[in-house]
Amino acid sequence: MNIPTLSDYKSVVGRDVIEELYILASHVGNRSIKMVNSTATGGGVAEMLHRVVPLLNELGVETKWEVIKGGSDFFDITKAFHNALQGNEEVLPKEAFNTYLAYNEMNSHEMNFNEDLIVIHDPQPAALIQWSLNRKSKWVWRCHIDMSHPNQQVWKYLRPYIEQYDAAIFSSPLFSPELSIPQYRFYPVIDPLADKNRDLELTYINSTLQKYKIPRDKPIITQISRYDPWKDPIGVIQAFKIARKNVDCRLLLVGDKAADDPEAEAILTKVKEEAKDDPDIHIIFLTNSIPTEINAFQRASDIILQKSIREGFALTVSEALWKYRPVIGGSVGGIPAQIIHGFTGMLVHSVEGASLQIRRLLSQPELARRLGENGHRRVKDEFLITKSLKRYLLLLLALDHPAQDKISLT
Amino acid sequence: MVEEYVFQFSSSAYLEKLSGKQACNLDELLKLIESCTLSSIFYHTFSALRKLREVHVPYTNDFAVWISRNLHEEALSEKLGAIDLTEYNTIESLKARIVEIIKDFRDQNQPAFQKKAGEPFYLCDVTRIVYLTDKFAYNLKSFREVLDSISIDSLYFHFIESRLYNQLHLDDISTWIEQSLGLNKLAQGIRNIDINVYTLNEIRAKIAQLIDENLNKLNTKPTV
Repeated sequence: MNIPTLSDYKSVVGRDVIEELYILASHVGNRSIKMVNSTATGGGVAEMLHRVVPLLNELGVETKWEVIKGGSDFFDITKAFHNALQGNEEVLPKEAFNTYLAYNEMNSHEMNFNEDLIVIHDPQPAALIQWSLNRKSKWVWRCHIDMSHPNQQVWKYLRPYIEQYDAAIFSSPLFSPELSIPQYRFYPVIDPLADKNRDLELTYINSTLQKYKIPRDKPIITQISRYDPWKDPIGVIQAFKIARKNVDCRLLLVGDKAADDPEAEAILTKVKEEAKDDPDIHIIFLTNSIPTEINAFQRASDIILQKSIREGFALTVSEALWKYRPVIGGSVGGIPAQIIHGFTGMLVHSVEGASLQIRRLLSQPELARRLGENGHRRVKDEFLITKSLKRYLLLLLALDHPAQDKISLT
Repeated sequence: MVEEYVFQFSSSAYLEKLSGKQACNLDELLKLIESCTLSSIFYHTFSALRKLREVHVPYTNDFAVWISRNLHEEALSEKLGAIDLTEYNTIESLKARIVEIIKDFRDQNQPAFQKKAGEPFYLCDVTRIVYLTDKFAYNLKSFREVLDSISIDSLYFHFIESRLYNQLHLDDISTWIEQSLGLNKLAQGIRNIDINVYTLNEIRAKIAQLIDENLNKLNTKPTV
């Protein structure tokens, strides 16, 4: 499939939305952005930059994307930083910080920052700003990770660098610390035209289920998530078993495991033990998931679960809502931003709650349909890539007038 | 004699800001509201109404929803949720009303102020950006033609948010129809549309219906 252009999104989000993006871009004028992150492939940030960068260029905002370089020692350290900012309590040695800084300095000498707006993604390149103190550009730090309980050693180290930026961006108020610089909220977004989300032929959906030997003889409840205790796959099986006493259905667990998680194998074993060879429970373990197959699993499901007990933003919820699926989600992390309980899905706090909502939604198809429709609209309004483009345009305008809470472009 | 003015459609967009401040009980919420910027109040009321209206959520402000979900103080939540934003043409007056409702509640329900919330209330803020679009109306017929193609944001700006700019209790669509086209009855019909009940697309359809009826009447008037 060719890379979609803005025009391709008209049929998905509406002509008016795309027209307004062009109008906003005309108010922004000839501006430029440089995105900087630490990897060109793999992970949600790189995946999204591959789509956002060409679309911003199409809107007339000259946007470049550069990836910082580093040895395995650097990336081991930044991975530890990442985990620490998400709450890992590991204490890092002083040399780790020196190595981090040395690689940032090396990269700063190999890059130029002549664009109007420099967007630095995540902690890996965050210290680049240290060597751009006489800058003319606006610098913004875009943090994609959950910083609700950061490791204080790493955060105290990074914070002075972050506070040199003109602004920071977080995905949710839950993830943002108090800072001396303005903070903006950019929700993470999905691309409705990506393989994981685009419309599929029914024949493809059916053949995918056949491939994995999943009969379509009864309603399918699905959770698509890494096999990780925080996603509570055991709780999902327990909720399913309670619900099945009243409603006949199948459970589909689809996921991979974190490559760096030594406990992942043990969790998968526990999941299989909990399932006890139940023919209605299908446990699919993928090492390299195929996006269209994930898409097919979601579209074939009657209910999608995301019964996490700790979560980042959980864009799997938006992916399912976009496909008009009713979603039952744990009330943690970014899930309540996507699920308005009773209107765009159901929020739960326990195995029993999840079980009750499964029974309710399977017994009340009209309610399930309405939740799916409302969920689709909510995603269309807030969690699509076109909204991300709009936020970048607005950011360019807002940074021009940092002291104003209302900007009139008339 | 009515002087005709061209109506150029504007639109508005919000860039959400995070304050890093939060409240874990009613006392802290009241202090946050009293001390926060007017744009924060705008965010938690006017833009809250915009963000969930299209999914038929009866959602007029974030304060009411947080109090219901996290403190289960339904009476206070209902009082705040029932605030009709169309009655406020300044954020100052809206803020004063919110503070007044919470203080009145405190006078009668001291224990409720000690309750700790399940999840904190996160104070947010917003930068509002209002911009002109390339759509114009020169008369009622051209207004009607353009109405279907303007964005939801543009409709929201003219029908709801503009009340804060003109400092009147009136939207600027009906104001233009009255003042520029002299169609008082049509203007009144548009003003009677309840923003608390309909989605923005339903509001668009209502306005379109009223204009269509008016245009049909004009077309069927016998010539003298």
